[in-house]
Amino acid sequence: MAMPTLASLGPRELRARLRGPGLRLQTGPFVTCIRSPLAPLADTLAAMYADYPVLDDGALADFHVRLSGPTGLRRLVRPQVHFHYDGMAPFQPLPLDQAFPMFEWAMNWCVSSQAHSWLVIHAAVIERGGVAAILPAPPGSGKSTLCAALVNRGWRLLSDELTLVRLDDGLIDPLPRPVSLKNASIGIIRDYAPDAALTRPVADTVKGTVAHMRASGDSVARAAEAAAPAWIVFPKWQAGAAAELTPVARAPAHMRLAENAFNYSLLGEAGFQAVGRLVDDARTFDFRYGVLDDAVAVFEQLLRERT
Amino acid sequence: MPHTCSAPVWRLVEGQRLAHRCHDGQCVLFNDLTGDTHLLEHAVLDLLAALRAAPASAAVLAGADGLPDSDPGILAEFDELLADLAALSLVEALP
Amino acid sequence: MKPQPLLLQALRAPAAMARFGERDWDLLLRQALASNLAATLGLLAEEAGVLAAVPERARRRLGWARTVWERHLKAVDFELRQIGRALRETGLPVILLKGTAYAAAGLPAGAGRLFSDVDLLVPKERLADVESVLMLHGWAGTHLDDYDQRYYREWMHELPPMQHMRRASVVDVHHTILPETAAVRPDPARLRAAARAIPGREGLYTLAPCDMVLHSAVHLFSEGEYHHGLRDLFDLHRLLCHFGAAPGFWAALPERARELELERPLCYALRYCTRLLGTPVPAAVLDAARGGAPNPALLALMDALFLRALQPPHPSCADAFDGAARAALYIRGNWLRMPPLMLSRHLFHKAFLSPKAEPAQ
Repeated sequence: MAMPTLASLGPRELRARLRGPGLRLQTGPFVTCIRSPLAPLADTLAAMYADYPVLDDGALADFHVRLSGPTGLRRLVRPQVHFHYDGMAPFQPLPLDQAFPMFEWAMNWCVSSQAHSWLVIHAAVIERGGVAAILPAPPGSGKSTLCAALVNRGWRLLSDELTLVRLDDGLIDPLPRPVSLKNASIGIIRDYAPDAALTRPVADTVKGTVAHMRASGDSVARAAEAAAPAWIVFPKWQAGAAAELTPVARAPAHMRLAENAFNYSLLGEAGFQAVGRLVDDARTFDFRYGVLDDAVAVFEQLLRERT
Repeated sequence: MPHTCSAPVWRLVEGQRLAHRCHDGQCVLFNDLTGDTHLLEHAVLDLLAALRAAPASAAVLAGADGLPDSDPGILAEFDELLADLAALSLVEALP
Repeated sequence: MKPQPLLLQALRAPAAMARFGERDWDLLLRQALASNLAATLGLLAEEAGVLAAVPERARRRLGWARTVWERHLKAVDFELRQIGRALRETGLPVILLKGTAYAAAGLPAGAGRLFSDVDLLVPKERLADVESVLMLHGWAGTHLDDYDQRYYREWMHELPPMQHMRRASVVDVHHTILPETAAVRPDPARLRAAARAIPGREGLYTLAPCDMVLHSAVHLFSEGEYHHGLRDLFDLHRLLCHFGAAPGFWAALPERARELELERPLCYALRYCTRLLGTPVPAAVLDAARGGAPNPALLALMDALFLRALQPPHPSCADAFDGAARAALYIRGNWLRMPPLMLSRHLFHKAFLSPKAEPAQ
């Protein structure tokens, strides 16, 4: 059942939808209606989301996102109220050249604050051989660099930031979207994966210099293929460190995973059981590494041990 | 030396179902009232389970653990633990 | 004449949701989210037996809102437990107001309803006791700016909101339902005397049914802000539908309004509930309430303001007049509560001198 992709719209139709009724874009299980008059954003969307399905005007969207030029909002008497009209919390305006990073953060926010059919973990998640590795990590641990490297060495991207764990059966639903890279990682991944498509880096964001790497066509095409969790790996990059996995006991693993889940408390006992099931079904490790190739080898070893 | 009348009898707070998962001597426990999740030693969960079965004083709990039930040092430790658990709304002293 | 917004249609007659298609639901969900009524909508659909007819994506979305509400209820239960324990030593009955009351008493008005603060009513002469006992149990005063302290304590009808230091829950302690500075001063002692114990919840009370309705009406029609206008009107609708089934309620309502000098808010409440939500109010009661109406010119103006302000706060329901309508109501709202001279000083102070602390709703 082939749905039209964003690329099939062509630039004129893409802009018309963005300026008018909205572009209805499917990412993983979600449909987002995107409105924006900003031409550069349209161009980046065309580059990063070319393979993603788009739906027609009558389709029901989960989220409604609007990104307009910074001057428009300040003319209104109550700018917060304007944002609130579409159910979204207000963001502080950002410099115009940060429109695409802002869009990505807004998309993440929509899911992490509202998608309560899943336990939503702040973690990257990748799949191979039908099973998934979850990489939770606070900012600065190198999670995204590791994730970007692994998806360029045979692993399928399920998500870069938001791991969706189903509450009923514990499977992970993919949400493939551009992988965000910061500062030094940008150069590292350019070298590591010369064929990967990256946006032009945007400087001076709150996270430093930011770029995004397009998700592979394969990961987008297989966005409906769920995977069972096999490993939970807390990565920590350290210059010069040898790659080393250290098992983590289940009860502490539960607490650490819960700390990294956006809606753990909100889900109450369902959240408790979802995390409990995860640490029972998967093996949890701390992982220290200094060289990407070493890390890739360790993950391949994990896969071999399983089969 | 007989117990003083003021030694409280403790019970599990009504509504606490003690949903938990244990592994290797450690447990995680879901607190039905506060929605908190606690990381506990297995022994503490055993104590909570004992209180669910029947309200008890610190001395009774100590005795059930095979400890001398009138040793003031041991009783003080139990009292402190029970006070901590009460602060978490897991147990309460009978009025 | 434009058809009523989808959200109003759904609230008036929940079974109508079975007929809405995907495009309708796209808009309806946005209106509901903007009005803080998404959880309520899902529960109404379920109650009307039409949830299965709702498109799957919309059903899933309503489910997310419901999950939030269910968690909210558990948090409220715990807060009430802790507040009850804290206030036990004062010997006072704990009288709950507004959303807290609806939730604690399991009223239909509580279904899907979220609220950020726990509202209590205590005698004015016991405020200091209550405040100190809450502080002992971990709630701390907020709004420490001197001006705001005066605003709350002297001019309004409550202590500055007290926030728990660990749990961040907020308790609003009121001693009456309208500020001291307002022209109308419904006697809080009468309200407290008529309070009803909540079955199954020892020590907790709600206002009597008529008083709950009148409080909700007063709250809506003299409040400064109308973001929750439709939600608050729907509270009234549900309260009236629920209590209206009890014998004697309709007869007592206009009389109680007279006793408490709240005929004007009751008139507005019944007028806009019947017009926007089709609340089944007996004709005799509407007649009796008309005595509380203002002169025809003012009533026409209020109609123009309220009928717009009480629509879903979403662009699909807006027209050019709306911003002005809401602004006029904001000023009017505070005019009822504070004499005009004090009002302008207050607004000025609030806009430029107070530290910003806007809670997200």
